[in-house]
Amino acid sequence: MKITAGKNQVLFLTIKITKMNCQLCQKELDAWRDGKLPGERKIQVELHLKECETCSGIYRLQLIADKVIDREKELQADPFRVTRIMAGIDNLEGSGNEPANPFIKVLKPVLVTASMAAAIFFGILLGNLSGPVTDRNTIPVELALIDDASIESVNILLNE
Amino acid sequence: MTDSEIIKLVLRGEKEKFRMLVEQNQQMVFRTCMGFLHNKDDADDLTQDIFIQAYQSLSRFKGEAAFSTWLYRIAVNASLNKVRKSSKNLILQRIDAFFGTGKSGEAPFLPSDAEDPENILIRQEHVEWVRRALDSLPDNQRTAIVLSKYDDLSQKEIAEIMKTSQGAVEALLQRAKKNLREKLSAHGKNK
Repeated sequence: MKITAGKNQVLFLTIKITKMNCQLCQKELDAWRDGKLPGERKIQVELHLKECETCSGIYRLQLIADKVIDREKELQADPFRVTRIMAGIDNLEGSGNEPANPFIKVLKPVLVTASMAAAIFFGILLGNLSGPVTDRNTIPVELALIDDASIESVNILLNE
Repeated sequence: MTDSEIIKLVLRGEKEKFRMLVEQNQQMVFRTCMGFLHNKDDADDLTQDIFIQAYQSLSRFKGEAAFSTWLYRIAVNASLNKVRKSSKNLILQRIDAFFGTGKSGEAPFLPSDAEDPENILIRQEHVEWVRRALDSLPDNQRTAIVLSKYDDLSQKEIAEIMKTSQGAVEALLQRAKKNLREKLSAHGKNK
């Protein structure tokens, strides 16, 4: 009985493996390549790849894609670029494109605004220190009461 | 000296210290650019632009993430912008290919069963259609796959760069791989 059961088990497994379809195989392909599939599933994928031309073709295409990417990854950046980058940064000097300390960046406009406000304030203050103009031009009451018409002409005095 | 210490010194006016940051991260930025542009000269030029851009924006680096993460973000955005700008050239190339004068109209290649998968020789046409398949992915899938395949970053690191969750990155990578597989197998069927 045991031997028969064992045979049945083997037969059952064989049926299960051959029934793996392309859709499932392609879905599991990435996990299989990353070695993340459990033993039985792994064998199923491997058997399917051996039997199915389409899926094995896709697998090969993925290998090629990986090789192309690896080839691009292996390229080294130009070692002289560092010097060019630093030269480019030097050229920024005076163009106003240099990075500024955030404190200085905020403080600068604040200081400019404050100094302008102070200049205006002191200007007004100095102007007020010299006294109001109206006080200087005030005519004394005695003079204001003089009737100009009643004053003798200067010419009369000259003729005397 | 840590990255943040170097950045402080650069911001205080010691701009020559920025050279250290360039030397440490140049290859990493270059690889990312290669993933998007697939051309060494273009990737070198863009790497230079990215570092100059990073220098100009250094005062905006808050130190919430690692400097490399911040630099990766600049590199990805700059690369995507560059790709979008050059899309006009791509249209011209396609027109060229349509009229049979360009090289992109070459027949796609499907490796035969006789070839040993581990020893398949890479031909120019392989390179062309792998690049085309990568370039045809949506921006977010393309970014995830470049950071994963070219920079060998973990899903956690990619999530940090893309400002998203690890789960979202995992889903993006799965979709990107599925799309790539479909595009590559379509090439195979066309042959």
